[in-house]
Amino acid sequence: MFSLSAIELSLKFKKKEYSATEIITAFLQRAKNEPYGALLSVLEDRALKKAAELDAKQKSGKTLGLLAGVPVIVKDNILIQGEKTTCGSKFLENYRAPYSATVVTELEKHDAIIIAKANMDEFAMGSSTATSAYHRTDNPWNQDYTPGGSSGGSAAAVAGLLAPLSLGSDTGGSVRQPAAFCGIYGFKPTYGRISRHGLVAFASSLDQIGPFSRSIDDLALISNVLATPCNHDSTSIQTPAEDYLNALDGDICHLKIGVPREFLEGIDPEIRSAFEKFLTTLRECGAQTVDITLPHNNYSVPVYYILAPAEASTNLARFDGIRYTSRSKKAKTLSEVYTFSRTEGFGKEVTQRILLGTYVLSAGFQDAYYKKAQKVRYKICKDYEDAFEKCDVIAFPTTPVPPFKHGSITDPLTMYKQDIFTISANMAGLPSLSIPVGLTKEALPIGIQVQAPQMQDGLVMNVAKAFELKTSFFRLRPPSYQGNDHE
Amino acid sequence: MNEDYEEFEAIIGLEIHCALNTKTKLFGREPNYFGAEPNSNIGYVDTGQPGILPVLNKEAVKKAITFGLAVNGTINEISYFDRKSYFYPDCPFNYQITQFYHPIITGGSITCDVDGVLKTFTIEHTHLENDAGKLVHFPDFTGVDFNRSGAPLIEIVSDPCMRSPKEASVYASTIRSILEYTECSYCNMQEGHFRMDANISVRLKGEKHLRPKAEIKNMNSFANMELAIETEIQSQIAFYRKNPTGTIKTGTYRFDLEKQKTILMRAKESAEDYRYFPEPDLPPLVLEKSFIDGIRENLKELPLKKAHRFTHELGLTPYFTNLLIADKALCDFFEKGVTHCTHPKAYCNWVVVEFTARANEKNIHVKDLEISPVSIAHLVNMIEKGRITGKMAKEIADLMVENPKMSPEEIADSDSKFKLMGDHNALEAIIDSILKENLESIRDFKNGKEKAFQFLVGEVMKKTRGSASPPLVKELLTKKIHSSNG
Repeated sequence: MFSLSAIELSLKFKKKEYSATEIITAFLQRAKNEPYGALLSVLEDRALKKAAELDAKQKSGKTLGLLAGVPVIVKDNILIQGEKTTCGSKFLENYRAPYSATVVTELEKHDAIIIAKANMDEFAMGSSTATSAYHRTDNPWNQDYTPGGSSGGSAAAVAGLLAPLSLGSDTGGSVRQPAAFCGIYGFKPTYGRISRHGLVAFASSLDQIGPFSRSIDDLALISNVLATPCNHDSTSIQTPAEDYLNALDGDICHLKIGVPREFLEGIDPEIRSAFEKFLTTLRECGAQTVDITLPHNNYSVPVYYILAPAEASTNLARFDGIRYTSRSKKAKTLSEVYTFSRTEGFGKEVTQRILLGTYVLSAGFQDAYYKKAQKVRYKICKDYEDAFEKCDVIAFPTTPVPPFKHGSITDPLTMYKQDIFTISANMAGLPSLSIPVGLTKEALPIGIQVQAPQMQDGLVMNVAKAFELKTSFFRLRPPSYQGNDHE
Repeated sequence: MNEDYEEFEAIIGLEIHCALNTKTKLFGREPNYFGAEPNSNIGYVDTGQPGILPVLNKEAVKKAITFGLAVNGTINEISYFDRKSYFYPDCPFNYQITQFYHPIITGGSITCDVDGVLKTFTIEHTHLENDAGKLVHFPDFTGVDFNRSGAPLIEIVSDPCMRSPKEASVYASTIRSILEYTECSYCNMQEGHFRMDANISVRLKGEKHLRPKAEIKNMNSFANMELAIETEIQSQIAFYRKNPTGTIKTGTYRFDLEKQKTILMRAKESAEDYRYFPEPDLPPLVLEKSFIDGIRENLKELPLKKAHRFTHELGLTPYFTNLLIADKALCDFFEKGVTHCTHPKAYCNWVVVEFTARANEKNIHVKDLEISPVSIAHLVNMIEKGRITGKMAKEIADLMVENPKMSPEEIADSDSKFKLMGDHNALEAIIDSILKENLESIRDFKNGKEKAFQFLVGEVMKKTRGSASPPLVKELLTKKIHSSNG
């Protein structure tokens, strides 16, 4: 049962091969005993209640939703009413959400059942899930390795067959990089395509919720559910989305794929050769490849580490020990409540970024940092505009290096460079999909991303579909679960 | 108050925060009403919950535009919101959403009557922002009431164009009356709907540059503001007289009414850095020209124009006009009836004097007597048509107060004492006898003494015990005097 896709699972439920309660009980059991540290909380009572309701709904003959009976795991920075939302931080250890995020409402409207919340880097700041205040998460392919981050828990959960689908959030690559590391699909949609209402903000102008899946059809299906206009989010795209699943035919004949050759200098040779094979496969499907250039991408990391912390320093200001965050027991004055609670509540990485963000917005420094970075952001967007004159989509590796071992990167700058290929899509608000394309000699996954102009989310999915039809990489499962699937 | 500062002149600019009377808050959907139990009108935005996003209230935008049009400002077809960062427990996000770089309205001006002289004051800009909550102090702890959190405000920033405390208060009260008459705000000063900050500096007359300023925050009475500004001006002048080359300590002050002193809250050196930057959760506010035009077409009559109409078209005295304009509720009540009345001046008198006096006895406002202004108009029409006398009308007015749902016609019909003498012959007989008794008065009248005629009318009314119609009495008297050969 665990290796089934969402589409297969839902079909089995609709055909009454399994009841929702049977499916959810099995997945909950697995979630409670999972070996990766992928989860922060298992929503047993809630999930069983929803499963029973769904079984009753099926009995009453009502129309069932697109994701009926499918267990889903969401990152712990997405609010579910009445449930804990920690954001991987001690500061929100006891915070229970007073309302549900739009994505949660939409999933449940389509009869999906959320079974657990996934581990993450604290407030989504990190590339290895190691900044979580709770525990680390292992890569299901090799538990000595990190699953990437910040949505490492959500990625490990889908790779480790804890659920066929999960949600993460992507501010600078936090869905795509862990997807690449865990050998699954991870999608960052066009900015505004999925509502951010109920997603704890990191950097508002870059944040986007995105799904993880093990098949492109599942990804298109959940995108159909999530990509809806939302009137609680002023940046939500108000036109309805296309039917992604229906449009998925894998026909990429004559499609022009832009390749920024300069990106390939100095990257891991195994990733480079996997990328070349990927392009060859797409050419076999009738696509053309053209060389393009994205000259300002070199600046994407420094620009990101000015803009994202700037927004974060204000987004995280609300965590102050006054209302719902834990208040320091040592604090005696108002200023101590702020200083001690925040010092105790935030971890090192988050503190570092808040300080950085506060600094770049300060009087006297704002022009040199924040405003200048905004200008470079426009140049990065302009690069894409120019590139899309010559091609329909752009492809390049998701990460410059394969998954790394726990604790092997300690220098923040080296860690920040993990995002060198993922940040620019957030800067420009583009849809970007990381596709599993194979394994290294050490049996660690490799991901390639495909990007398109805004609103062309369906197009990137279709490139993945074409690739999926020609290959079988997406069927690869981590060794820990081979033959371990008790249906 | 001393407004001649000898060799010095005062430079004053005002920042006015006005609460817009929208149904819901600026970025959330909770009721915009903060007189309720603490923390009863609050939502996820007002308490700064994680994951919540601001959604701009269109009604607030409309009201801001309304004000902008009323003061002839430029309505910017594109404006932006910014975050202003500071930590304080009443500020749930620890940043305020305001419009720092590109406000919705630029410019504008108003003309006011300052002690009989018309003066024009200019507005630098007006922007939208959300209000904070309120701290409530108890003996052993402090609580936060978030009811006001997220309430929509406009901040109206004047140019440094005022030269005296009086000018400042006239400017502010004119702005207030514009906001009230355009229905942007209830402008209740006690409830904090209208709060003023004053920026004050002085310089030697003829000096071109501005000297450092002091800012007095959060005043909610015009009289106190005048006092505060005057005190600050005097203190700055005293400083410069003692230290001709010195500079005053710039900073933020509050006015202590009891001590009659401005008290320093924060010196400039420790001024906060608000780290303004564009609010990423809100797209640019783009206004269609047709949207602005629609608001322009429905713009309510401005107080200055209304006052002009009252004096020039309705013939009201400036005194009564000012009384009406100063009390919008009274003015609205007056206007509801005035179109039903043939004699606006008399009707005004009945509303502002007679019925107001009766309402005052009950310690309520005229509008709360529950008498329709149209009924008052009808009462006045009855007098003017000669159906009842003024004396009767006062009695009917008393009865209207007791029975607010009864029309004056119904009351007049219900009692014979409100019947005028219908018998012409009887009235003529009385007039004849009065004329016979007062031959001297007839002579005086014919010699041009108007008063003599009024005396005769009075005598007739007395004899009929007020039951005769005054117009009829006048008519018959005139006829008889002219036909008498005296």
